[in-house]
Amino acid sequence: MRRFRAGAALAAAVLAAAGCGLGDAGPQGTAQGGAPSAAVTGEVKGKVTLQTWALKPKFTDYVQGVIDAFQKRYPGVTVEWLDQPGDGYSDKVLSQAASGTLPDVTNLPPDFALPLVKQGMLLDVAQADPKISDEYVAGGVEAYTYAGQQGVYGYPWYLNTDVNYWNSELMAKYGLDVKKPPTTFDELVAQARIMKEKSGGKVYLMSRRPELGDLAEAGVELMSADGKRFTFNTPEAAALLDKYRDAYKEGLLPRDVLTDTYAGNAKLFDEGTAAWTTGGGNYITSLAVDNPSLAPKVVPSPDMGVPPLYVQGLSVSKQTKNPAAAVALARWVTSPENQAAFAHLVSIFPSTKASAGDPFFSRSDGTNAGDAKVIAFASLAKAKMLQPVVVTDAMSKFVRQQFALAISGEVPSKQALDTAAAKCDELLAG
Amino acid sequence: MGTHARSPRGGGLNATGPGEKALRYVLLALMLALTVSPFLWQLSTSLKSLDEDIYSGTPSFLPEHPTLGNYAQVAETIPVWSYALNSLVVAAVVIAGNAVGATLAGYALAKLRFRGAKLLLGLFLATLVLPGEVTIVSQYVTIRGLGLADTLLGVALPGAIGMLNVLLMRTAFMAIPAEMDEAAVIDGATAWQRLLRIGLPNVRGMLSVITIFAFIGAWDDFLWPLIVLSDPENYTLTVGLQYLNGTFTANPRLIAAGTMISFVPIVIVFAALQRFFFRGVEEGAIKG
Repeated sequence: MRRFRAGAALAAAVLAAAGCGLGDAGPQGTAQGGAPSAAVTGEVKGKVTLQTWALKPKFTDYVQGVIDAFQKRYPGVTVEWLDQPGDGYSDKVLSQAASGTLPDVTNLPPDFALPLVKQGMLLDVAQADPKISDEYVAGGVEAYTYAGQQGVYGYPWYLNTDVNYWNSELMAKYGLDVKKPPTTFDELVAQARIMKEKSGGKVYLMSRRPELGDLAEAGVELMSADGKRFTFNTPEAAALLDKYRDAYKEGLLPRDVLTDTYAGNAKLFDEGTAAWTTGGGNYITSLAVDNPSLAPKVVPSPDMGVPPLYVQGLSVSKQTKNPAAAVALARWVTSPENQAAFAHLVSIFPSTKASAGDPFFSRSDGTNAGDAKVIAFASLAKAKMLQPVVVTDAMSKFVRQQFALAISGEVPSKQALDTAAAKCDELLAG
Repeated sequence: MGTHARSPRGGGLNATGPGEKALRYVLLALMLALTVSPFLWQLSTSLKSLDEDIYSGTPSFLPEHPTLGNYAQVAETIPVWSYALNSLVVAAVVIAGNAVGATLAGYALAKLRFRGAKLLLGLFLATLVLPGEVTIVSQYVTIRGLGLADTLLGVALPGAIGMLNVLLMRTAFMAIPAEMDEAAVIDGATAWQRLLRIGLPNVRGMLSVITIFAFIGAWDDFLWPLIVLSDPENYTLTVGLQYLNGTFTANPRLIAAGTMISFVPIVIVFAALQRFFFRGVEEGAIKG
């Protein structure tokens, strides 16, 4: 993911530098705000393109089925489906936008959509479809609302969140009860201490470096309400960093956790060096492919604080020639029925309110992967987008460095937070 | 290395004692292990069957139940051969462009005197300063303007003459003594004749170097073909292999198998040209 974002930041700068001249680049080029919203109520017909992100070939049948049903429902419409490879997606989207070839309906996560929203290239779907807030969950709709921009710039599609995963074998071996996993940070530290002592420092429970999202998870407001200033330099945040500093000093975290080459806790978890990681509802299923002998030993539990919300959505291009058909297609793909069918194939969760009562999500099939799905679904109710979309790679990197200084004890936590917040403000303004 | 560093019997500068020789081999073996082990890991991953762990604290290089099934599955999942063919087409255009274009430009800059030669060289150097990512969007807009979006020619064209290759060829031509050219001029040779009869026979090594570089560059490039191409039929191998790495599904064994498949042609090209390659790399050293 990080790689994608680096590309996004760079290309976003290119997009911004090229300015409004970009609108003229393609044959479809129109002035900003060109598509009249009245047209959205027009007849659903013509040709529309749908772009998804790395769903082929695993979900080819599913997506094609959804498209076929749409074309059957609206006989005058033909849908062209493009599926883009996983790597380099934000670069691909930005080059499409810059050359005026953005597909009519595009799968964009909220942070990829931001540069396009700023350039006025996406349709405000709330204007085209005022009922959007009634039909989709609030967190999903909020993800596509941006500070300083009126409107909603995408239909929320599927959601996911993080669940805690524990290695039951390691926990049992080193004196911990996997049935009583830590539910607070302090309990986590206490259990990490037991594990360190019993394993002689070979196996860790904690192996995660805190980032901005962890502060938000602990209840710290990262930004001011108007989205113009970073506010994470609070005493609560400093207290959390202090706890990490003490744990690090005690040797409860791997020594290289603060370096940029750190492999990450999921990697250590896969190797059996760490007994805890976090991951989406789908984690055990993919682990079963990577490390089949480890997957059955994994036990899930709910997130310790405010669970993070991950949103995917479908945005509509402002330059579309058939806005009515494009909006109808975006609605169709994100409909409760089609999302539920998708969720049966892979552990993701629908963004439609109508899906909340679906017993499929609240009933486990008895496997640990099924339990994880149920836990994730329950967590979604209180999940929030933890990291603001305006946080760039440059900001994250600076924050990481400051946090590393604080945790290694070189700089007092409050001072590190102040420096990081000031730098982020500066980067935000620039 | 102490006492037996020099053998009393050897005498010459290159003579080495058995101790030093052993040390050299140990160091070489160490380097080999360092550079080759990630590759071996990838190879062994591609041969592991579904019931084996991929990531573990102590990685095992020997698959317990070796299988070629992953390779078969790659071929089933994506049209490997047609993607490889697309990559070959792109690579062929890039190699031809570099071999011809960089040779001509390099020769002109090294051996011909014309107005603005220095300025031209400076401009060539200046384009090297810009990282490719910065110009990628404007390059795409240009290619689109030429009507080459979503074509293999559009993928190949921007890389068809590498500035670095021009500089390399210029250096190689500079190494030919000026007297040889002057003698040819007195004999009445034209610029073309001097290039073909005197220049080219002396830069074959460098030519094979830029051929290999151009091939690897074209074969391995990912971002640019991704941006230019939109029809999956036209994908090059590096882009097409991404289908193995889906949003919710990424089997590391398949990805490793795909990587191995895309690696084979590089080995073939290098094996075919390596004789010239090392001559080319050394060429700068014997100038004088």
